[in-house]
Order: sequence, then C-alpha cells, then structure tokens
Amino acid sequence: MLRKQKIEKKKKNKKPVVGFYAITGCQGCLLSVLFNEDKLFDLTKLIDIKAFPFIKQLEGAKEFDVVFMEGLVAKKNDLKELKEIRAKTKVLVAIGACACTGGIPAFRNFMKEDNYKHLVYHKAMHLTDMKPTPIDKYVKVDYYLPGCPPDKNEILTFIKDFVLGKKPEIYKKPVCFDCRKEGNPCLLDSGKLCLGPITRGNCGAVCPSGGLECWGCRGPTDDANIKTMMSLLEKKGFDVSHIKKRMKSFVGLKLAKKGIDTYEQEY
Amino acid sequence: MIKNKKTKTKSTKKSLKNKKVKKSRTAKKPQKVDLVYGLVPKKKKIIDFKRETSINFTLKLDWKVKHDPGQFMMVGIPGIGECPISICSYSDQYVELSIREVGNVTKALGNLKKGGFVFARGPFGRGYPMHYFKGNNVIIVGGGCGIAPLKGVIEYITKNRTDFKDVLLYLGYRSPDDVIFEEQLKSWEKKFCLNVSYDKAPAKSCYDGKVGFVTELIRKSKFDNKNKIVFICGPPIMMETVINILKKKKFNNDQIYISAERRMQCGGGKCGHCMIHGVYVCKDGPVFRYDELMDYKND
Amino acid sequence: MNYVLKKEVFSKFVNSVLKEKGIDFIAPVKSEQNDIIKFQKLISFSDLCLDKNAYYPLKEWFFKKNEVLFEFKGDKITIPEKKPKPKIFFGVRRCDLNSINRQDVAFSEGCWDPYYFLEREASTLIGYHCFEKEDNYCFCGSVGLEDHYDLMFYDRGDYFLVEIGSKKGAWFLKQRIRFFKKTTERLSARKKVIKNANRLQKKNIAPFYDHKNWKKGVDLCLGCTSCNTLCPSCYCFEFKDKVNISNLKNGKRIREWSACQLKDFSEVAGNHIFRSDREHRFKHRIYHQLQYFNEKHGKHLCSGCGRCIRGCPTRIDFVGILNNMKTKKPNVKKPKK
Repeated sequence: MLRKQKIEKKKKNKKPVVGFYAITGCQGCLLSVLFNEDKLFDLTKLIDIKAFPFIKQLEGAKEFDVVFMEGLVAKKNDLKELKEIRAKTKVLVAIGACACTGGIPAFRNFMKEDNYKHLVYHKAMHLTDMKPTPIDKYVKVDYYLPGCPPDKNEILTFIKDFVLGKKPEIYKKPVCFDCRKEGNPCLLDSGKLCLGPITRGNCGAVCPSGGLECWGCRGPTDDANIKTMMSLLEKKGFDVSHIKKRMKSFVGLKLAKKGIDTYEQEY
Repeated sequence: MIKNKKTKTKSTKKSLKNKKVKKSRTAKKPQKVDLVYGLVPKKKKIIDFKRETSINFTLKLDWKVKHDPGQFMMVGIPGIGECPISICSYSDQYVELSIREVGNVTKALGNLKKGGFVFARGPFGRGYPMHYFKGNNVIIVGGGCGIAPLKGVIEYITKNRTDFKDVLLYLGYRSPDDVIFEEQLKSWEKKFCLNVSYDKAPAKSCYDGKVGFVTELIRKSKFDNKNKIVFICGPPIMMETVINILKKKKFNNDQIYISAERRMQCGGGKCGHCMIHGVYVCKDGPVFRYDELMDYKND
Repeated sequence: MNYVLKKEVFSKFVNSVLKEKGIDFIAPVKSEQNDIIKFQKLISFSDLCLDKNAYYPLKEWFFKKNEVLFEFKGDKITIPEKKPKPKIFFGVRRCDLNSINRQDVAFSEGCWDPYYFLEREASTLIGYHCFEKEDNYCFCGSVGLEDHYDLMFYDRGDYFLVEIGSKKGAWFLKQRIRFFKKTTERLSARKKVIKNANRLQKKNIAPFYDHKNWKKGVDLCLGCTSCNTLCPSCYCFEFKDKVNISNLKNGKRIREWSACQLKDFSEVAGNHIFRSDREHRFKHRIYHQLQYFNEKHGKHLCSGCGRCIRGCPTRIDFVGILNNMKTKKPNVKKPKK
C-alpha cells in the first residue's frame, strides 16, 4: 500500500523536465542562471534539470517540458541542433539578446564581409556563409527572456510562474520606469546617448544606476516612439549614423519592423 | 451664508467620522483593522462548484454578506493573483460568482473543488439601484457572461415581484453549448417573458432552433419606451448596438443602465487602473446610467 | 504667535535634532556623485541643501515604492506589523506640502489606507518657503495652493521666521523652544506670494479635450513615465504576488508604483487595452491632475512643481500647449453641462 501511495504521489508531484541549451553565443546567459547561487538548490526541487552545457554528467532527455535556448543561428550545425531540440520540447524559451533579437553577433548583418574578415577571422577559414539570425526565424518561440545578459531574477520568476501553471507575465515597462524608481538622474540630460525610454525594462536599471547609459539590450517596448527618440538625440548633437549604430547594436534585426532601416553597409 | 453653514456642518461630520476611524484603529490591534479596510482578502469556503460550460463555472461561497445586484468582488488565490468577478446572486446567506476562464487567476479558480477555499474581498462598487425602479417595467438584455450580474437583478425581482410590472428578458449566447444558468432559465421562462438567441448553431450536434444576435430580437420587438428601464450587460459592441436600437425606439439616456468593464486592482477607487474621465469604475460603477458615460466611449 | 530662529543658531538647532535618538531627520541632500537633490536622512548639517527644490519628490517616504501588504503561508495570511520611526521632514517646499495633502485626500477617500497613514502619522512636516520661482517650469501660482504644514520657515535674510500650522508643529517647537524667540512679525498673504509662478493661464481645461494642439505634445512623448514617477502627487499603484522559491505556496503581496502612461496600464484579461492610444494616455494624466480631481475634491491634484516638465526627456511643456489653445476654434467641443 505504502509503495503504491508513494508511486502515486510521485506521479502527481512530477517536476517539469527542463533543459538548458546553447548554440552560437558566449554562454553568458546560462551563466546568469547560475548567478542565482543561493537559490539553485531550491530550484532543483522545483524543476528537473536534464541538460546543462556546464554539467557534463547530464545526458539530456527524450522529451522536455521547457527548454531555455541561448545563442543564435550562425552555423549550419546550429540550425540542425535547434530544430532537433524544438521537436523534443513543449515550450521553447529564447533566453538572452542573441536568441531573442540577434544581439551583438547579428551585427554582421549590417557590415560588408570584406570589412571584418581580415580583422578577426584571417586565420579562421571555416567561416560559413550563413547570416546570423535570432532563433525565431526558423522555429516557433513561446517566450522571450531578453537582455544581455538576461536578468537572473526574471529567469527565476519565469520558472516559478511556469511551475505554478501561470502564464508568465511579460514586462512591458520601459527602463526609465525602473531607473526613476531607483532614484537616478536622467543620463540624457547629462549628454549621454541613453536608450532607456524606448527599451523594455525589468533589469532593475543596472546600467543607468552605475552611470552607464542604456544600450537597449532588452529590445524596444511595444510602445516605443523611435521617431521622436531619434530626433531628440539628433537635437542633443549626436550623429545620425552613430545613433543608428547604437540602436542596432543589440536589436538591429527587430528594429526593422519598427521603422529603422536595417541593412546599411556603412562600416 | 446659508451655503457656508451647510458646508461647515458637512465638514464637521466628516471629521467626526475620521476621528471615529482613528479611535478604533488605535483601540484594536493593527491586524484586525487592516482586514476591515479591504486590502487584505478573507478566506472563504466553496460550498458549491458547478461547471456550466467547458470554460464557465459558478462558485457558491459560504459568506453571509449583504450585497446589491451588480456589485463585484476581488477573488483570487495568493501567489497567483486576483481578479474582479461580478456577483450573480442576491441573498444574505451566500455569494455566487460566475466565472469564465480567461486569464491566470480564473484558470486556477477553475481547478478548485467543492470544499476548497478562495480568498476574496468585497463587495465593491455601486450595483443596480433597484429601489428607484419600483413600479416600472424592466427590460434585461444580456450577452454571454454579461448575463452573470443580471442574474442578481432577476433574483432581486423574483424576491420583490410585486414592485415591478412586466419583466422582459433578452439573453444571447454564442451557441447552445455556451449556455450558462441552464437550470435557472427554465424557472425564468415560467415567470417572465424570456427570449433567448444563439449567435451560431453548435458545431457538432444537430440544432434546429433560431440563429441570430440578441440585437435582432430587440430590433423586432414591439415594446415602447413608457415606464421602462433597460439593463444591458455584455460585450461592448453588443451594448452599443442595443443602445442605438433603443434610441430609435425613443428611449431616454436615463432609462438605460449599462455596466462597464475595466482593469481593477484595489477595488477602493485608488489604484487608478479603472478610471474613465475621473470616474472610478470600481467605486462609482461598475453600473452606470448611460448618460454618465456616453461622452467617454473612447477613453 | 510666530517665532524667530536666528541663522547663527540654525546649525545648532539642526545638529541638536540630529543628535536626538528615536527621530529621523530627513532633508534635501545633494548627491556628490550626480548632482541631484533628494530627500534623504541627514547625517551632518553641511549636507543640507536649500538652494533648489529636490529633484525627486517626497512621496516615496509615505507611498512606498514596494509596500508589503501581507504575507501568506499556504492558507494563512499575516500582516506585517509596522512601527514606523518618527520622522521630521525639513525643507519641504509649498508645492510638495500641498501634494502630500492631495495624497492624504486620495488615500483617505472611500476606504482608508492603513499602510499610508501609519507612515504619515509618524511624520512632522517642516516647510521652507520659496519667494521666487525656481525656474521656468514652475507654475504653482496658478493651481491654487493652500497652507498645509506643521511648521513653516520663511527666510528673512539673517533670520528665519517660523509659523506654526498644526498642533504637531507646535509641540515640536515647544520641545526645542530654547532656540526660538517669540516675535510679533507677520507676513501678509501678499508677501508670501511666489513671484512669476502663475504661468498656466487656463482655469478650466475641460473645453479643450478635443483640441488639435494636443498632438504637438503627444508626438513628443516617449512614454518613459518620468512624469508619473517624478510627480509628487501621482498615486496609482498595482498589486503583485511574489512567491518564495523554497515553497511556492508562501510569499507576499506587494503594492508597487504604477504609471498611467504605460500602455498596459488599462489592459484587461483577454488582452484588450482601453487606452491604447498614446494621445488618450497623455491627456489622461493632465486631465486627472487639473480637472477630474478638482471636480471631486474642489482642488487640483497638481501642485505646479513642474517636475513632470523638468524631468521629461523631451521637455513637453503641456502648460505652454494649454496656454496656446483658444476657445474660438471651430473644432473645439462645447463644454459639458
């Protein structure tokens, strides 16, 4: 009897099977999961981590409930791996700026190949001709956790919400809201090229709190008024190409939909 | 001078009230006082859980609280959240809530069972001022889950049947599969003039009845505007078309009562989410006379 | 009866209050790192900065950014017991004193808010009068400010003239009477007027709701919510449930600041947004400040401090926009009866 009850209990309290994977990227997003140091032990009570690139003992699973995917598609191998994982999982979460919006690697889209090839890759002859793109071009992505790196608390709340059966909430407030709550001065007033007003928050405004302007790594808000932002920055004396370069640095490919021309071979 | 005097007396009364509040606050422990002021929910037992359709269900709570038809409650589960739910009963003994599974909280509430607990606070808002309408004919127009608050009105009328003359019910459902309050419909049919319409025929089972919107029923009906009060609750598009039809029938704006839907968080007219042009839906509504809101459709 | 505090004694007075145990002395302090003035706990007299009004308002001390409403453990709800430390707020300008009064009105209307008033009752507000407007953004002269203070300091050259506004203030002064001297000097209402600050010329803005000039401001709006978060009288909030990672049944419900300029502010289940238009959101804030609150309570919610313009990245001057509107234009709606 007891055994049966125990088995039944186990079935009821089945933890969701979770995998963390990374394709082309710096693996920093997965590192920010590990930054929840004191909460990792509690986290393993909630979820069953079956794959994590930093842990060699884990061998993956046949089926996942959630997979957190870091990085973007830049090689043909990436695409293959991505599609395999998508077939295995019920929910796919893009984690980090690369997976969500393209991030720094996607900047290759805005440059001529000749301009960068000789700089870094003069020895690397295995450069493939694939244009780096965020993963949602190839597979369906259910949720996005943007940011470079993503906020460790946001990842935790996502997992909590998922285990509770809630639909994870998407934070829609701009960075400015967080920044004003922190009690910072406005960096735009002190002549810095801050993209806070048009960037999605929930990072706790870490950069502006430390005096560094917002680079917009978390992507534009739904409500972003990019036109006015451009003209404001122009009035402040910034060069148009400089503003565009800054805006495109993390989210260039996604801004195309918002009215910023993406493919300019300026550099 | 007279005006001044009046305002003075008013202000003194107000200050007296405030003093009383403060006295009670210092007299009791802070915990109990906080519960009184409505930000902290109370634990209530579910004495009946009834599934109406695949996504609609009715909760009956063991809560002896006085409420008007049309008022609402903030119902939730700590950890998941809270949402406003209109009360669909009129009784001193219990509270009934009709809920449709749309968001996080309502889905979590749908997994509860009889004997379980929910956390609720309320009742909030201004319901239908039923005592004003004594001796009138009542027309009730409801669509979908907008019928829930109107069920409270109908229960009020059945309890005080002699106060009202003719009662006409126009209820619209999406299809026969989506009918909520199926049991009650049978008893209403006997007592009142009941008209039910379905927007669509059900997908699978064979259905022979009429198909059409509620608005069509009202357009075809032959009632006039004399001594009549209309209560409308339903999707915004439905309410608007019904109002337009009623206007053609020469109804006045103050004969029409509508209920507004907004995002609500506090229930006490503070958080600001539900404000329409300075009117808090949670405190001054959710039931409005049409002329109170007619200029602010877009806001 | 008014009192005089000589400026030689002023530092002694402040230092003696600072030394008192069980009291926090909160005053505008200029941050060394970034040059902005905020209300902070004063540590030494030399930090006190009275040249300018604070960049950030006082409201965060009463209407907290994150207030724990209650904690839950499974089915049990406990309310954290709070005993706020008595606080003296010094150097509060007239506009901020008024905005605190407006929040008092808002939080006591309908159901009385215990969390706000616990902090509020533990506070003593000492004002500091400005005789001239600080910069071009101020418009406190045209919103009808009232006197709401416990004590008020008027700078009269080499001494402060101190007025008593409430019993709380009188009690505070009585305890420290050794620094003060009685005087018969009184400032007439005309002398107290803040000069050149009546920039807003419109008394009733209701007829201009559909005016086309609003578009000038709306186009400039970035939706950054600086105007809401910097406003000393904005009081909108939202609830959030935060569960503990160790046990998902335990956690707390938190009241957070919210902002009406956010698009999802009026979003309901089913993803319908009622004020999805930027223009409606933009006008909603201004009309709440200058019309809706007035209709209910007989005074403006706005205290004319000008922070929403000073802190706006694009400096949207809604006062100027309102001043430029004329009633005679054909596309203006008639005032509602």
